[in-house]
Amino acid sequence: MILRIFIFYACCFLVLNTLFGQAAPDAGHGSSSLQLSVTHVMGQQPLVRKTATYTNAAGEPFTISRFRYFLSNFSIEAVNGEMITLPPAYFLVDDAIDSSKTIRLENIPAGQYKAIRFLVGVDSIRNMSGVQSGALAVESGMFWTWNSGYIMAQLEGHSPVITSPTQEFLFHVGGYKAKDQVLQYVTLSFTQSLTINATSTPNVNLVANVEKWFLPDTVSFKKITVIMAPGIKAKQVAGNYRQMFRITGITKP
Amino acid sequence: MKYKAIYIVGAFCLLLILVQGRAGKKYAGGPEPYLLQLPPNFPKPVYDFSRNPLTKPGVALGRFMFYDFRLSKDSTVSCGFCHQQFAAFGHFDHALAHGVEGQQGNRSVPVLFNMIWQKAFMWDGGVNHLEIQPLTPLTDHNEMAVDLKELLRKMQADPAYRSKFKAAFGSEDITSERMFKALTQFVATMISANSRYDSVMRKLPGAVFSAEEQAGYNIFQEKCAACHKEPLFTDLTYRSNGLPYLPALNDVGRMKVTGNTDDNLRFKVPSLRNILKSSPYMHDGRFYDIYQVFDFYDHGVAVTGTTDPIVKKGIPLSDQEKRQLYFFLNTLTDYSFINNQALSEILIH
Repeated sequence: MILRIFIFYACCFLVLNTLFGQAAPDAGHGSSSLQLSVTHVMGQQPLVRKTATYTNAAGEPFTISRFRYFLSNFSIEAVNGEMITLPPAYFLVDDAIDSSKTIRLENIPAGQYKAIRFLVGVDSIRNMSGVQSGALAVESGMFWTWNSGYIMAQLEGHSPVITSPTQEFLFHVGGYKAKDQVLQYVTLSFTQSLTINATSTPNVNLVANVEKWFLPDTVSFKKITVIMAPGIKAKQVAGNYRQMFRITGITKP
Repeated sequence: MKYKAIYIVGAFCLLLILVQGRAGKKYAGGPEPYLLQLPPNFPKPVYDFSRNPLTKPGVALGRFMFYDFRLSKDSTVSCGFCHQQFAAFGHFDHALAHGVEGQQGNRSVPVLFNMIWQKAFMWDGGVNHLEIQPLTPLTDHNEMAVDLKELLRKMQADPAYRSKFKAAFGSEDITSERMFKALTQFVATMISANSRYDSVMRKLPGAVFSAEEQAGYNIFQEKCAACHKEPLFTDLTYRSNGLPYLPALNDVGRMKVTGNTDDNLRFKVPSLRNILKSSPYMHDGRFYDIYQVFDFYDHGVAVTGTTDPIVKKGIPLSDQEKRQLYFFLNTLTDYSFINNQALSEILIH
């Protein structure tokens, strides 16, 4: 009797130990990756910061000095329509940093895919769950100190129509709370179906057109010069720039 | 039969010991955990320690950084410069916060204690997480005005910092995440729950209110406790208490953060713990004496559209009531907190 009870306890212990005591098997087995190469343009021309002068939809000349934004929450759509959410990954794309324009998405199950979906910005959870690391580390300056939350996208430059002493426009677009949410999901179809597996890491050319920040809801520097808080102006600009991305081609390895 | 029971219990105990032994091994080699004593009469902390478990070297690193003047732009201002322990980590005798190069902000330095029970930070609740809070004073040009990237490079170049980060986090990498987590660990240990009021509430031997203190406690419960809720002595809400608006400071309070006109002139209800040690009072430090605060509530309230209904007609306080209230507030001073050696300034050479 005693022995039986003891054996029962021992078995319970072994079972519990097996259930909770061991690490899950490595999930990375058999998965592969996809690369995104980001190019920034203004209309048809490559974006040149500081020196090139452009004209916005309101007919105002301007130059660009800074262009940065977060991309996150990637998922890809298989040819059969199944949406596959990729492991959490956050990227801060900065026009001034070439290495930031190559994005590698890991742990994609091998298969055939037709579209990609991502968030321009940082999901609300990461805006409110304390200090983060990597691309989300706060020293980037992409986090508001007076009203916590990430600046999802940032465009800065100069225009002679601006009457302030610096003639500078500063668009810091953020806001994760329901009322002032600027998070924009973008879905783009691949130009052809993509095969991703351990031996094939395709490269997708992703183009971001800065011109789209000013359209279709026309942004004039006379009306909007500085955005540094969540609100109507930020939502207007975010509603515009969600259309700045397109896929122009795919390079197979 | 009696022996069988003993065997069964014995076998179970043996298993428990084995399981405990296994669990204990996880910590072997890692930094030594810091056991935080939580006050028995407090609610569950808001801060989630699972992402940032307290360790002795982590807390020590946080304390070192808290008192390190080199964390500011010109190495003149540390966190502890404004947050003084003897003033319950407020700024003694300073109405408005000031920082590097004679810069001055437009609000008073908030006290630091019981922060792990707070849901949001700053007078307007603009900062949404304890770990993120240090970013504001570190980078604000009126305060420490540091370039965080430059600071991280500077710290990475300092062998003493590298070894402290290694002790706390397992490697010499100095990142903002680790830096803020260590500061959070230190701030988390700033718990004030050991005042004479607490001794009375816990019915410790010999702990009783005097007649005047008891009378003051009764007045507090009747006239103050709706906002300054026990045991934290704040309900952590944002309210407009009728403090006259000062055009020179033009501080709209929480409206700046939410963009909602209903939040105009609302500020976070401050705790009354250690209140007699943390003058001056109000978000702009306009009152240097607690009696000025009593007088304000008695006859100084300026009603606006957002003034809290509770204070719209003022809070009448007779001279005797003010005196009794003073005696009660005095029991909220936590000497074991403001004299706690584990929180005190360390000299950094």
